[in-house]
Amino acid sequence: MAKKINKKEIGRLLEEWAKEFTVFVPSLEKDTSKPAKWDGKDVSFIEKYRNTTVPPKSLFFPLLEEMFRYEKDGKGYQVTAPAVRNQKTLIFGVRPCDASALAMLDTAFADGYQDPYYLDRRKNSVLIGLTCINPYDSCFCTSLGSSPSEIKNVDIMLTDTGDIYLVEEISDKGKELTGKSNILTAASEADIARAKTVKDNAGQKVTRKVNTKNITKKLQAINEDKEFWEKAAAKCVSCGVCTFFCPTCYCFDITDAKEKKQVKRQRCWDSCQFGIYTQMPAENPRSEKWKRVRQKVCHKYEYYPMNYQQTIACTGCGRCIRLCPVNWDITQVINSVPEKVTVESK
Amino acid sequence: MTTTVINGRKKFFSQNNVYVPHVCVIEKIVDETPTIRTFHFKFKDEKMQQAFTFESGQFGEYTVFGSGEATFCISSSPTRKDHFEVALQRAGKVTNAFHRLEVGSEIGFRGPYGNSFPLELLKGKNLVFVGGGIGLAPLRSLIWNVIDNRDLYEKVDIIYGARSPSDLSFKYDLETWSKDTRLNMVTTIDRADPAWSGRVGMVPTVLEQVAPSPKNAIAIVCGPPIMIRFTFPALAKLGFTPDQMITTLEKRMKCGIGKCGRCNIGPVFVCKDGPVFSYAQIKSFITNEA
Repeated sequence: MAKKINKKEIGRLLEEWAKEFTVFVPSLEKDTSKPAKWDGKDVSFIEKYRNTTVPPKSLFFPLLEEMFRYEKDGKGYQVTAPAVRNQKTLIFGVRPCDASALAMLDTAFADGYQDPYYLDRRKNSVLIGLTCINPYDSCFCTSLGSSPSEIKNVDIMLTDTGDIYLVEEISDKGKELTGKSNILTAASEADIARAKTVKDNAGQKVTRKVNTKNITKKLQAINEDKEFWEKAAAKCVSCGVCTFFCPTCYCFDITDAKEKKQVKRQRCWDSCQFGIYTQMPAENPRSEKWKRVRQKVCHKYEYYPMNYQQTIACTGCGRCIRLCPVNWDITQVINSVPEKVTVESK
Repeated sequence: MTTTVINGRKKFFSQNNVYVPHVCVIEKIVDETPTIRTFHFKFKDEKMQQAFTFESGQFGEYTVFGSGEATFCISSSPTRKDHFEVALQRAGKVTNAFHRLEVGSEIGFRGPYGNSFPLELLKGKNLVFVGGGIGLAPLRSLIWNVIDNRDLYEKVDIIYGARSPSDLSFKYDLETWSKDTRLNMVTTIDRADPAWSGRVGMVPTVLEQVAPSPKNAIAIVCGPPIMIRFTFPALAKLGFTPDQMITTLEKRMKCGIGKCGRCNIGPVFVCKDGPVFSYAQIKSFITNEA
């Protein structure tokens, strides 16, 4: 049963949720939009943001986090891991592209060894999705089996239909939440029909396309085609912004930092676009830029799908296109991958 | 300490967290070459010392407290569990800090990670070990393993080389092995040296001179990339097929468990799909990337 809420009541709903959860909403911090802790009052974010620059992965896999710390006492080194990260979080306004990206990170962080930091946080989270009524021209989610109103990976989906939000309960977690609230009322057939029009219109606004047909096989065929990749990488400046803000990128570095008598072992986002990323004492397998650009493109469209049930690890959020200082465009690269390859394999 | 099985292999977690290292104590330090040292270590927790198991070819993530963490194979054999050994060359921040440690110093260890040399496949075969420089470290774990179960294997050749006599690692092992009548130990150095009366020549060249038969044989290769690149063609010339050649690869790693992203070659992650591969598995990309 779909429900609805008057837009003016959204603050009350968030207040209600804030009693149980730490609520995160789209915010502006130092000129960068990101999901941040709700101040409990301001609801102006509702009309203000299209999508945040920093994807919600930052809440589960922070830019920088402490893994544990150690210090030496009379008995030697003592290692102390942080307490279980069981804070219950609710993320409001997650776009479908970012929600499906989290599903991909879930797979990677749980495969084989469990990553306790990511998975603990994720386990205790609720995603409140928001239909993306105003997608960017750099967006291309509809080419990747999704849409601005895709409900698959959120717990509750909201759609702005003017004065009200249509509230769809998707998961059990979502149903439990909406069932508890008396601010929500039953949606009428007309509300649902209006929301459908909004969703359809949003879908039609996504005009950029990427041709994903047989893409994994096509990329396999040109993996060693240096000419193709040099052309694809020609204008890249290896700044790494595309990977940093990519909602499906999860590479990290691990370092130690001294803090008084203790040392913190911490991890931070890293990027396959940096030459030093793969540097070893005697050699570097990706010292050339074209190999790094190939890694970025192929990890998403070839390697990840090969390892995880043919799922392309790109959600079409368009951040890598919007944020690139030199207008590098992954859709152009993918769309230029030849259908039939004549390069001799080595 | 908690134990769990992941992909059929036993794992030992400290504080139930894969990233938290176990504290170990260095028992002995051996100078191998001017830049390589072997560290013998034991787990500080007696229960962990008893429980810990690994297989030849697996690696660990080692912490030098205060400096950071780095990846090295376990260079001792799982058949000798009194202590564990890691051999490493001074190169970067962590290895330099490692070389400054003393007997009694504490280090962190997490692992074992990765796959291992395929013992079942090797049983009943003639084994040809081809190593260069620090590349003997992972081979050595398997060589001692083979020696300790000598009847399970047929003929064993070991061809090992380094730049100069002083660059030969594990000289005490080379000496023992050269006296072992059930092993054919061939040691070589790259260029003639007044202090050396033995064989001179690059490892791939010497391999061709020794010319082990490919019949019922498996070659296990580890050394610097340049040596590996020339050793595979040399083995092919002798009649070895790509699935008769096994190597162990080295890449920069941070997590060791398939998450941090940097050790992949195409869809293959050296940390979790390797580090041991047959040449058949990797020959398509070794020309381009390895």
